Amino acid sequence: MGIKKIFRDQRVLLSVVIVAIIGIVSLINPKFIGIKNLITIFQQISVIGILTMGMSLLLISGGIDLSIGNIMALSGVVMARLIADGAGVVTATAAGILVGTACGFLNGLIISKSKCIPLIISLGTSQIFYGLSLTISGGRIMSFRGAFNAIGKTKLFDIFPVMLFFLALMVFAAYILMTRTKFGRRIVAIGGNEKNAFLSGINVDLYKIIIYSIAGFYCALAAVIFSSRIDSITANAGIGYETSALTAAIIGGVTFEGGKGTVPGAFLGCVLMGVISNAMNILKVETYIQTIITGIIIVCAVVLSNINNVKKK
Amino acid sequence: MEEKKKSEPILEMTDIRKEFSGVYALSGITFDLFAGEIHCIVGENGAGKSTLMKVLSGAYSPTGGSIRLFGETYDALTPTLSKALGIHIIYQENDLVPGMNVVENIFVGNEIAGPFGLIRFDEMLARTERQLKELELDLDPTCNVERLSVADQQFVKILKALSTEPKILIMDEPTSMFNVRDAQKVLKLAQMVARRGIGIIYISHFLEEIRQIADRITVIRDGAVVNTYENPGRDIELTKLTCDMVGRPIETFYQKERHEIGEIMLEVRNLKLKKDSPRIDFHVRKGEILGFSGMVGSGRTEIVRALTGADPKFSGEVYIHGREVKISNPRDSIQAGFAHITEDRQRLGLMLGNSVLENTTIVGLKEKIKGFFINVKDHPRLVEGLIKNLRVKTPSIWTDAIFLSGGNQQKVVLAKWLFADQEIYIFDEPTRGIDVNAKAEFYKQMSALTKQGKCIIMISSDMPELISMSDRILVIRDGRITGELQDEQISEQMIIKMALGVK
Repeated sequence: MGIKKIFRDQRVLLSVVIVAIIGIVSLINPKFIGIKNLITIFQQISVIGILTMGMSLLLISGGIDLSIGNIMALSGVVMARLIADGAGVVTATAAGILVGTACGFLNGLIISKSKCIPLIISLGTSQIFYGLSLTISGGRIMSFRGAFNAIGKTKLFDIFPVMLFFLALMVFAAYILMTRTKFGRRIVAIGGNEKNAFLSGINVDLYKIIIYSIAGFYCALAAVIFSSRIDSITANAGIGYETSALTAAIIGGVTFEGGKGTVPGAFLGCVLMGVISNAMNILKVETYIQTIITGIIIVCAVVLSNINNVKKK
Repeated sequence: MEEKKKSEPILEMTDIRKEFSGVYALSGITFDLFAGEIHCIVGENGAGKSTLMKVLSGAYSPTGGSIRLFGETYDALTPTLSKALGIHIIYQENDLVPGMNVVENIFVGNEIAGPFGLIRFDEMLARTERQLKELELDLDPTCNVERLSVADQQFVKILKALSTEPKILIMDEPTSMFNVRDAQKVLKLAQMVARRGIGIIYISHFLEEIRQIADRITVIRDGAVVNTYENPGRDIELTKLTCDMVGRPIETFYQKERHEIGEIMLEVRNLKLKKDSPRIDFHVRKGEILGFSGMVGSGRTEIVRALTGADPKFSGEVYIHGREVKISNPRDSIQAGFAHITEDRQRLGLMLGNSVLENTTIVGLKEKIKGFFINVKDHPRLVEGLIKNLRVKTPSIWTDAIFLSGGNQQKVVLAKWLFADQEIYIFDEPTRGIDVNAKAEFYKQMSALTKQGKCIIMISSDMPELISMSDRILVIRDGRITGELQDEQISEQMIIKMALGVK
């Protein structure tokens, strides 16, 4: 395998870019490469990282769910409400996870049975979930009163936050699911060519429902991490997360067409976005300018990763 | 016709040859067309009709020969030149824009515009109405084409062609999806168009129709002209045509080992695709290859798709080894032991963007690999052996299917079903568009399968292949089984006659 071929792999390309950015920024400000800051970067991407896993699984199966941000918010709001009403942490968490998974299930059911475009259906359900969050929270900030401190504040050896184990676990679970299980192979097959998958005896509808439910489950876990970091949640908490997750996945080499992409790639996409945003903070780039630069980098990353396809034609 | 003969033909193709990597699809075709004439072309599937038309449309440049059009001689045409010279092809496929009405469709890409580039709908409507009246067609020009019948859509396609004012109109199987009454309307329309002085090349499998409208008929076989007949009295003997279409020695290329044929393995009773479709009954024996013959569009593929649950069926019982099995989707049929090598490998049989490995294991995962998790070490090893055995030419099993040649892609489809290790193999046009070596591999594998006591249903339009490989042949026409041929009864002549419904 030649050097050129290795670089064609999105994961290698992303790793190189990430290392390069870290190197350059560290030269300007050595604080950047400190263990403390590196841990901060991962903390900052923990929520988006988990959501990106859900989104990637959907994209690889040829689907998409633009309601994941609002599913996360709804799960969080439900948990906060239950805790405010005196429920135990375990009960509240279980209920939140159930709600998230149920939302995903609903999306999967409608999309697979109606054969409608997932993009539009999930935009619609997104509104439903958002409205529910607003109703339950009454539009106010809901506090967790430290209920999730065990996850949010605990640090191993005084430095390593427990929540990063959650992130690592969820990424690893998605990786194993996609590479080492029959389920994963079938998801790729559905995304690669749905007609072929159907003729190959795969229960396409059932698998779609399951994958949307898994994505919903990931959203609920993201809600736990989100709530434990900030100790509160609002109905607006999820807004914008779906597009960030989508962007990270696409940068990571997952495609809109389905059947392509890897879990590590998508995760590297998240890391890249986290590193860039953190670097700009350290370099004291003005917030408004940061947004512009982030946009430019996203466009460049996507165009670059598509260059091979352009050349083919 | 007599006066026309004296004038120059508008089109003269002389000794046209077309070679594809060493194989001649056309080996010296000479063909001409006069203004106002309907010249029909007949031939078996793959005889070279489409290739010849693609030379005319400019899609292919011929390897040799010359084309004389309206007094000018060309070595090859380009699509632009062909259009500029007034050659227009009406393809079998529907190329209308679904959301537009009749008028908009007719003028698509050719709109009449007024000042500021604004479309003049009234003018287009008026022209369409005039055209409809002249051709005695009863069609609402403002109707959305989606709501038109298939026949009416075909008329719109013809009107669209006429709006470009062609001098030569090529109609490729224009009536293939029509009932008799609608087909008559198309024939009448073709004759009216010819009367305007437009030369028509008409390709069809329906010999009766051809007899009815052709001024001349050219029979093509194996990329060469067999005969050109005059048909002034509209009374040509159809057996003359079928004889010409066939009549080729069967090559020794197909090595089929004869062996014992056992008891009935698959029995299909009362299969009906729709409520009023004809009833279909047949069986296949252990170790037998049952051929399905018939013209393209005769319903062969639809029958096997309904059988394997790819499409819904109205009724029908399926028995395997005498036990009834319920099949309502491909999952059930795979469970029951069916393997279905579909006719369109790229659209239905493969994930082009995924590796050979992923493509091969997709069906067999369920049975071959136990449990939820995959053993990453065993799973490529199993596939590697299979891929080697089938002589699939690929850099590795990790290569994406899109980078393989057609023949090797088709082998991967076969590998997928061999990996799943099924009992009843259905091959739908297994060797279409693949090279000779890949074909030979397929025949070898088919023989091996029957030797193992499996059974095969093979749909094929390749007559020599079908005749050499099949133990028994069912002929299908208009969705019904019109004949069964076995052993010495099997001949190309008989099959063609049954497939075309010629007595």
